[in-house]
Amino acid sequence: MNKNKTADTRATAGANLGRRRFLARSTAAAVGVGALGGTLLSPAAWAAKAVGDHASATLLRMARDIYPHDRLEDKYYAQVMTPLAEKAETDADLKALLKEGVAALDAQAQQHFGKPYLDIAAETDRVTLLKAQQDTPFFQKIRGDLMMGIYNNPELWPRFGYGGSSWEQGGYRYRGYEKNDWIEGV
Amino acid sequence: MTTAFDLNDDSLVVIVGSGAGGGTLSQELAEKGIRCVVLEAGKRFERSDIENDEWKMFSKITWLDKRITAGPTALTQTSPNLPTWLVKGVGGATIHWAGVSLRFQEHEFKMHSLNGDIAGANVLDWPISYADLAPYYEKAEAKLGVTGTKASGLPYHEPSSHFKVIAEGSKRVGAHCRPAPLAINTQARDGRPACQVTGFCMQGCRFGAKWSTMESSIPKAEATGNIEVRPDSMVLRIEHDKTGKVTGVLYVDKAGNQHFQKARLVAVAANSIESPRLLLNSASDMFPEGMANSSGQVGKNYMTHTGTGIYGEMPDTVNMHKSPVVPGLVSTWADNDPSRGHVAGYELEILHIGLPFMSAFLKPGGWGRELANSLANYENMAGFWICGEDLAVESNSITLHPTEKDQYGLPIPVVYKGNHANDTAMIKHSNQQATAILEAAGATKVNVMDRYPASHNMGTNRMSERPQDGVVNKWGQSHDIQNLFISDGSQFTSSGAENPTLTIVALAIRQAEYIADQMQKQMI
Repeated sequence: MNKNKTADTRATAGANLGRRRFLARSTAAAVGVGALGGTLLSPAAWAAKAVGDHASATLLRMARDIYPHDRLEDKYYAQVMTPLAEKAETDADLKALLKEGVAALDAQAQQHFGKPYLDIAAETDRVTLLKAQQDTPFFQKIRGDLMMGIYNNPELWPRFGYGGSSWEQGGYRYRGYEKNDWIEGV
Repeated sequence: MTTAFDLNDDSLVVIVGSGAGGGTLSQELAEKGIRCVVLEAGKRFERSDIENDEWKMFSKITWLDKRITAGPTALTQTSPNLPTWLVKGVGGATIHWAGVSLRFQEHEFKMHSLNGDIAGANVLDWPISYADLAPYYEKAEAKLGVTGTKASGLPYHEPSSHFKVIAEGSKRVGAHCRPAPLAINTQARDGRPACQVTGFCMQGCRFGAKWSTMESSIPKAEATGNIEVRPDSMVLRIEHDKTGKVTGVLYVDKAGNQHFQKARLVAVAANSIESPRLLLNSASDMFPEGMANSSGQVGKNYMTHTGTGIYGEMPDTVNMHKSPVVPGLVSTWADNDPSRGHVAGYELEILHIGLPFMSAFLKPGGWGRELANSLANYENMAGFWICGEDLAVESNSITLHPTEKDQYGLPIPVVYKGNHANDTAMIKHSNQQATAILEAAGATKVNVMDRYPASHNMGTNRMSERPQDGVVNKWGQSHDIQNLFISDGSQFTSSGAENPTLTIVALAIRQAEYIADQMQKQMI
């Protein structure tokens, strides 16, 4: 996940071990990158009946714009959006929130860029539209669910370098709490 | 062994709350042969309830009864109903604390003498000095097993990666980072095992290596046979007789049934929101402004510490989660040096929070690529929570909502907190110093976090020499009512630059001696 880990900063850190770690991690991350390809979104994979293909695809795009991690596959964002859209099938208020939220976003998109949100190519333009929506219950609902769905997802913790529950393995007492091979003076 | 006392037994001490203050007091009194009932609003947790999961434990143990956050700070918007991050359960906030055990400094007991009147603040000297409390700090350190102290004999934790990064950054700017004195065993001691470094101190210690009243004081108190703990018991009001002496407390149990427990004396230790709230809710014809409130200071002078967080993104892996949560402290600016542009001091406390909480607190309500990039750098983060003394200000307060009631039918508390200009100056200074340390250690980006819900809550029933300046005397005894005591951090006159728990425990040990003596002499 780490954007700072370029060859340059590695060179200044001057640690061969660190470089090997970086390569190993990049390889692991690359396994998951394929499906994304920047703009390739597949609404059919998760679209729910209640909101329809267009709204589903818009929500997924919006999800990626709210917490953009280019190396994370769509499925992790879809895992958050799918239960929402499914719940909307039986929850009229939620259905209205999602459909009207997407409609409002598209209306703004049409007004400022002459096309629906989904068709706006530049992330900065889409972010401008989202900023205008960020205090709405619609946006807050999506953001809140995503925050929990991405950063509180144990499946993703290793990708962020977070260990999660450790007591089952006896904590880190004998598993590297002291390990640091780059800070000088220690 | 389960002790059960009669509701009509008016020889009992009733203690409201089972955390650092109430839990300690119950153990100390029990060991002197004094019988007490501990009424705890929350449930009883077992070791097996403790999980290494931030949000799960947050939902499980946090005091989530509705409160209203008020005041001109961002917290009012970002956390409108959760001004504090405290625990509802047997053990109180000692389940959640990170174990940092610091003594107040000598000068922090006399901030008014030291700095004079400060406009807009309500600063007062404590009615006790450091010398009065020093022997009790010693006893508290022995009781808790504080690392690095003579009293415990325990060594400090070995330096973690997080500690090493901050220690080196500190050295490069001419500051000093020291291991934190922690009430977390580094060797098996007092029936508790050594720390296994799970990295989840604040979710409750799964191994019981961290001292808490849940793990230590309460079971020890119960083992004497002199203590009955009643969980799920929310105290609604304290009652008094015609002379003004308290007679007992009305509480509601889990099933919703109300009971009146008679008492010889009542000690309130429900933390700095619930304790004044209970006194205010106990208003009567005799005490129309609330019990023990002839000074008008009940609920006033609410202090939380400055409480910003600050995290640097380092050029390489830190893995701050593989560490005791607070492995070290930079105490370089903990003194009172007005040349910095503010009075009082602060501790930079190295502190780890997990990715789930980091995503919520790094930029509350935030989103977008910059935040996501920082969170993607989680494993490279190192940083601090800043424990700076905030000044007593009368308008920072706990009041009762005029109309809204909670599930017990009690008016919900409104928790108002603004920053005094001195707090603002200190926050600025401390954020600059913390940033310098993180950058010296190589941080390419430093994120400053606003104050998040406070775990340190102090001052709302403060100690004072003169009855008109505060709520309790130097023993934590109400100025107005002889058999009513305050036994938690709400009795603090100033907040200090230190985490409050060790001082709460020291005060409780000292108070227990006084209560026993006064009972012996038939004074109460």
